[in-house]
Amino acid sequence: MSFQFLQILWFILIAVIILGWATMDGFDYGVGSLLAFIAKDDREKRIVINSIGPVWDGNQVWLILGGGAIFAAFPQVYASVFSGFYLAMMLVVWLIIFRAVSFEFRSRVEDESWKKRWEIVITVTGLGIGLLLGVALANLLRGIPLNKEHVDFESLFGLLNIFAIAGGLVSLSMFLMHGSAYLVMKTEGELQKRARNYGTKFAYAYIIFTIIFLLISPIFAPRLLNNSLGILGDILPAIMLIGAIGVILAMKSNSDTRPFMFSVLSIVGTIASAAVGLFPDIVPSTIKSSYSLTPFNSSSNELTLVVMLIATLIGLPLVILYSIYAYKKFGLKVKLDEDSY
Amino acid sequence: MDALILARIQFGLTAFFHFLYPPLTIGLGALLVITEGIYVYSKNEDYLKITRFFVKIFAINFVVGVATGIVLEFQFGTNWAQYSAFVGTIFGSPLAIEGLFAFFMESIFVGVMLFGWNRLSPKAHWVSTILTAFGSALSGVWIIVANSWMQTPAGYKIVNGKPIMTNFLHVVFNPYFPAEFTHTIMGAWEYGAFFMAGVASWFLIKNNKDMVMRKALKVAIIAGIFISVVQIILGDVSAKEVVKYQPTKLAMMEAQWHTQKDAPEVLFTIPDEAQQKNYFAVKVPYLLSMLATGNPYSKVMGLDGAIKYIAHKDHITNLKPSMFPVDAVYTTFHIMMYIGFYLAGIMLIAIILYWKDRLYDNKFFLKVLWYSTFLPLLALEMGWCTTEIGRQPFTVYGLLETQNSVSKNVTVPDLIISITMFVTIYLILLSFALFLFKRELKGRLEGKDETNTKPKEA
Repeated sequence: MSFQFLQILWFILIAVIILGWATMDGFDYGVGSLLAFIAKDDREKRIVINSIGPVWDGNQVWLILGGGAIFAAFPQVYASVFSGFYLAMMLVVWLIIFRAVSFEFRSRVEDESWKKRWEIVITVTGLGIGLLLGVALANLLRGIPLNKEHVDFESLFGLLNIFAIAGGLVSLSMFLMHGSAYLVMKTEGELQKRARNYGTKFAYAYIIFTIIFLLISPIFAPRLLNNSLGILGDILPAIMLIGAIGVILAMKSNSDTRPFMFSVLSIVGTIASAAVGLFPDIVPSTIKSSYSLTPFNSSSNELTLVVMLIATLIGLPLVILYSIYAYKKFGLKVKLDEDSY
Repeated sequence: MDALILARIQFGLTAFFHFLYPPLTIGLGALLVITEGIYVYSKNEDYLKITRFFVKIFAINFVVGVATGIVLEFQFGTNWAQYSAFVGTIFGSPLAIEGLFAFFMESIFVGVMLFGWNRLSPKAHWVSTILTAFGSALSGVWIIVANSWMQTPAGYKIVNGKPIMTNFLHVVFNPYFPAEFTHTIMGAWEYGAFFMAGVASWFLIKNNKDMVMRKALKVAIIAGIFISVVQIILGDVSAKEVVKYQPTKLAMMEAQWHTQKDAPEVLFTIPDEAQQKNYFAVKVPYLLSMLATGNPYSKVMGLDGAIKYIAHKDHITNLKPSMFPVDAVYTTFHIMMYIGFYLAGIMLIAIILYWKDRLYDNKFFLKVLWYSTFLPLLALEMGWCTTEIGRQPFTVYGLLETQNSVSKNVTVPDLIISITMFVTIYLILLSFALFLFKRELKGRLEGKDETNTKPKEA
């Protein structure tokens, strides 16, 4: 295995880990965002929360793993992006902190206003994370002003451009669609009907925002036009749209699981499009292309990449094994009992 | 104030607040493995009740631990970008491996453990409790690998001015790792034992016929006596490693300004960093030499000698005594040490009282146990301060200075905003966690059943 091959492999593995996070934790945030709208009474709220109750914590580890893997494989990317996006990163952290305690705290006190407050927290943190994922990815696709030493001195407001907001709306609608599809799978009756309805609407929203984003990308991020896969890269975003159309059609059928599968497909399309769009850069510099961070100038040495690869090949199958066990134990449909949130 | 000081304050604050929670996850987790195991094999329902009650508190502590831990995974990049770029090729891998092998296990099985009571056989449930506790301890392994590497870096060589990994096993089993890990994990278990003992005592003060809590106290003190004695031995082992590898830290821990023979142990003092003198010193002659090397007449390196030693060994010549926070390191180390002895003493008394069958109705001693509930946590935090502040002025000992580790592009206003937010959020979380903890205690006292948290649903 050549060093260059390892560096490209790690670029792909990081994309896969981010895909793992967006797929697994994405529905947690989507379900959380929907909580305030979709559930009518306390029982329904509990069903919505407990659809992710036993699993959200495990899902969140994908994000932790993503941070650790970027740190280990591409330390300079970790350093440049996280410090460059300082206040935005802090905002993400604060949202995740409140999300992490919200389910447990809400269920501990039988009091209307206490519960109400935590429900708002669950919804707001879900919406916030959904939006910020796309904002971050769009900014990377556009490039950030990395200087010669790979340091970015831009302020928080530099991150909030039209292109980034369009990207944010893509990811937000994606998580909302994904959360709805997950609820279709996990619930029954009226609640499920509402989830189908919301899922269809958010799939349309996702299609519209994706098309807008694709149309304006040549203006804001011209580098996307000569992406690494050429014409193949140009048609990759079609998977995003095929997935979303699949969601809309599957929502009309009586299948409980098919909407979720198509939703996963559109997330695969989204993350793959972003990865192909970035490659061969990881962080393009808007100042000078030679200042950009690539898998080849920002990676750890060969030994570290080999060690991490071996760890991943052993560890990831274990993670999948635990996950299958946990999801199986709690069954497809939510059943509340005295231990539920 | 400059950005460096603020970045250090932020790291200290966020790590301090985070470290309030994981030790209980590890420590109480281990005790729950014991209590649930006794239930599985003896079928004694009382042990199920103990487990289920403490799992409720475990859950509150767990989520706050997870919440406050997230920032630590990102903070190296956000606030310590130069550090991350410099050592990420070595330091990043234990963090990624922690996520992959430990944190996933812990976080997936904690869901099964908290919500699976009615879905799993008692044995299968016990297995998920074991995996949760094991996962949390394994997290500790990898975090300490990363931290101990910062104390005693190994398994690397310098290429183009940066360290790169040459041997992964040497990175993992760096010189300080075994001592630091065992001392930390034992501290977490000690906290777990005192936590269970303290809470059980609180209930026994209210009602000493509470048979469930009598059993909980019994388990806690039997575990506690072994742990707290072994912990003192491990503390001694750790300190001897510091003598070997981090002479400046040892000088700070013992407020030892000058290299001397027949070094006395300073039991109490107020060190004056400006004058490099100790005020109100209470000393035991020869003891420091004895503890450091086993020979009461041996020479122990003071701060002046240690600085020269580093200048010679690591070719770092800009160090001055004023860069070493002797005051903080001496004080935190001694608080930790005295608490350690106190805890072992308490457990010894508890075992004697238990032996003589006078434990459960000795209200005074039960109160002592209750007031000692959080003392191991204080010792853990103080020990962590000793380790981390004692490493100054380095982030990686002898290799990278703290002033060259900080992010260049994070400004003072950025840091003021983030510190203010962290303090606010963490105080809110801490007060909620304590509020819910008290509620669970009161709830049980008012007769809420341990095995039910909510009315049954159809």
